[in-house]
Amino acid sequence: MRIGLEVHVALPTKTKLFCSCSSHAKEVNSSICPICMGMPGSKPMLNKEALRLAKSISLGLNATVNETTSFIRKVYFYPDLPKSFQITQLSHSIGIGGCVRIGSKTVGIRRIQIEEDPAKIIREDDYTLLDFNRSGVALVEIVTEPDISSLDELREFLTELRSILYYSGINISEEVKADVNISLDNERVEIKNVTGVNNVIAAARYEIDRQGEIIRTGGRVRMETRSYDETSMKTVGSREKETEEEYGFIYEPDLTDFDSGSIKADKPIIASEVAGSIAETYGLNLQTLRELSLFDMGSLRLIQLGVVKDPKAAIGVVESLKKLGRMDVKDDVFYKLIENAARGLQITADILGRIERDETVSGGAKGIDQKAIDDDIIDTINKRQDLLIEYRTNKKVFNFLVGMLIKKYSASPRYVAERLAALLDSRIDRAE
Amino acid sequence: MTSIDEFRSKAIPDGYYSDLTAELEKLNGQLNAFNGINRLLDSGYPFSVKDNICVKGVETTASSKILSGYVPPFSATVVDRMVEGGFGFLGKTNMDEFGFGTFGINSERIARNPFNSEYVAGGSSSGAAIATSLLRYHVAVSESTGGSISAPAAFCGVVGFTPTYGLLSRYGLIDYANSLDKIGIMARSASDIRYAFDVMRGQDDYDTTCVSTTPTSERKSRIVVITQLLDGCDKAVVSSFEKLLDRLRNSGYRIDYVDVDFITSAIQAYYIISMAESSTNLAKFTGFKYGYKLDRFIEPYNEFFTEARDVFGPEAKRRIILGTLVRSASVRNRYYSKALKVRTMLINKLKGLLKEAFILSPTMPILTPKVSEAKELSPVHAYAMDAMTIPPNICGFPHISFPYDYVGGMPLGAQIISDHFNDYAVMDFVSEWEKGFDYRFKYNLGAL
Repeated sequence: MRIGLEVHVALPTKTKLFCSCSSHAKEVNSSICPICMGMPGSKPMLNKEALRLAKSISLGLNATVNETTSFIRKVYFYPDLPKSFQITQLSHSIGIGGCVRIGSKTVGIRRIQIEEDPAKIIREDDYTLLDFNRSGVALVEIVTEPDISSLDELREFLTELRSILYYSGINISEEVKADVNISLDNERVEIKNVTGVNNVIAAARYEIDRQGEIIRTGGRVRMETRSYDETSMKTVGSREKETEEEYGFIYEPDLTDFDSGSIKADKPIIASEVAGSIAETYGLNLQTLRELSLFDMGSLRLIQLGVVKDPKAAIGVVESLKKLGRMDVKDDVFYKLIENAARGLQITADILGRIERDETVSGGAKGIDQKAIDDDIIDTINKRQDLLIEYRTNKKVFNFLVGMLIKKYSASPRYVAERLAALLDSRIDRAE
Repeated sequence: MTSIDEFRSKAIPDGYYSDLTAELEKLNGQLNAFNGINRLLDSGYPFSVKDNICVKGVETTASSKILSGYVPPFSATVVDRMVEGGFGFLGKTNMDEFGFGTFGINSERIARNPFNSEYVAGGSSSGAAIATSLLRYHVAVSESTGGSISAPAAFCGVVGFTPTYGLLSRYGLIDYANSLDKIGIMARSASDIRYAFDVMRGQDDYDTTCVSTTPTSERKSRIVVITQLLDGCDKAVVSSFEKLLDRLRNSGYRIDYVDVDFITSAIQAYYIISMAESSTNLAKFTGFKYGYKLDRFIEPYNEFFTEARDVFGPEAKRRIILGTLVRSASVRNRYYSKALKVRTMLINKLKGLLKEAFILSPTMPILTPKVSEAKELSPVHAYAMDAMTIPPNICGFPHISFPYDYVGGMPLGAQIISDHFNDYAVMDFVSEWEKGFDYRFKYNLGAL
């Protein structure tokens, strides 16, 4: 099975790719000018910020950045395309020949190209409207090699790609748009314009089943373009004629060759690699680290700061801060939180606030009163001997006690649970 | 002293501009120089603008029906700079539709030669050349892709300057072939051209290909004549041209004949590149948002724009079809890619010659044809008439066509070429020529 993707993502530039219109206007057709409307006589001007972001993505995808990059015209007639050609890139794309590592496998990246978005088509029952606010918005298209060979790999690849895009400064809350190419035998089927990771996977799953069924029953898969219907969760054949696409590419003569080398762009952090090396060095759970860091720059930064102090406590603090939405804590506060967590203190909004205000927290610098907790537990066990019998079979009672102790001592759940279990176990052992 | 300085030193009588535009209107009925005359003009040194260059608020059609009624919401950078420089906008000049033509006959209203209206004015900047020939005080902002300034300048007996590609901003120029299009100037003297050139040149953020380089004026004492170019010329043209060479020898130039055997391939390369680019540029005209509009929005889009695009003239249609062919995947390597290689080869070859010399040739290989004769030419024969003007245009070299003789009452033009950015040198060359040669004009409208 061979799956390849063409992923489109919007670049977060303030202005459009070839003019100074805002990329983020709300009111329809309010952010337009002669350039993005393709008026006769207008010419494109390249947005350097788009070039920088695309270069950064290319570096993140381990691609070769072309020393000079240039554009081409892709000609086709459609009402959303004001010039009847799209300015995009091909052989002199910003990035060529990269790869993305997922687990032990490598997915090849053929090309990273910069291009303009067409206008938005709004279809109504008996008419169609066009919103040119989107016309000329900067996009990057990432074309992979057909190296993905299972749905799991597809999901992993999309996660990894989105993480790299996130660390390149792309707003990944906007859904990716992708064309998905799938072939089980020789013929390639392209599913056009699928929006969102879940839909990409669902479309691929449907298409794999569909092609598999055709092959099992002795049929031949036809090379075609299909589209994905989100409601029925099926791919459907489009009515377009099955001819080789002919766009009549020529190079874009209004845009000179750009010296990509002179554009300063950094390779983004590859969070999965950083998480992997931290997990290995400090013996931490990789999955937890990935969940915390793949799409959270602040989290990754704190993890890197914290693991050198106290790996386990640091991860606990980052988890708490993530719940509290407070990845912005100052470094010294973060270090104090780790110290307190190491002593078993549960990091709550209240505790965080007190540490930030430089107030003493319960138990002062010593953290929580460990002896008081132990005494309390022993006292409780003495009063309720039934606990000794029930706790191994009935978790409810145990959890209730943990909850009570957390509240009473501002202690962390892990610490309280550990102490309670240890003391109960020691009493049971003794009883036996 | 330039005509511009002279004009500005004089007292302009009341009613000067209204009388001028009225006279012009009258002649325009016979010669078709203007697509529109600005009757509101009341100050400044008059300048006209080729109708493929946008002037805010003024109908701009590139002489094409598909743009009829199109009023651009912005002006070309060069137009803004002329107005800021104290020039007064006189009107939009006629042209071959979208610049597709050598004679000025590919327009709804055929341009006529001011020396004799039976003859062609040349194209595609036909109206610019006619206006320059009619008006005593005037400069024409025009445009050349493959010879659209030189050809009409030669047939109408005016000075036509095409600068180094990239020195004048193309922002606001309705594209024919973007990698070849150059805005240029026609006037009655090289010094007037230099004045307007300095007003308009300079970097423009709105045109990425426009550069801020200051041109040089490196005089060459050697002139190269490319034999293959002369071989294609009519005898009458050659014999006149040889007299010009004698005069130049007498004034101290060394004349060398040089072979550039593949220079004739420049015509094919030019038409392939220009048609490929123009077929993409014309794709935007779908009768949808501006200019000629169909109101039957009920039709499917393919049927809709196909019907609208029927109003293109025959030459525009020919170039759309051929241009679409040469860039299609199956033949791109045979045509488009090869044409780009020929262009590079030619630039390298001619650049070598231009290091130490100017290149000089007749501007056109024939004497001015009658309108009826030009209409008889097949497309291939018509394209062959650009043999001399294409080489500097495809290479982006600065060049000027200037009048050097009159045969049967009609002017003859020669074309002087220099290396990239040595633009002032060709102007200096022509200024030097003007000291010993008087240009003739049949009209002197607006003389003071």
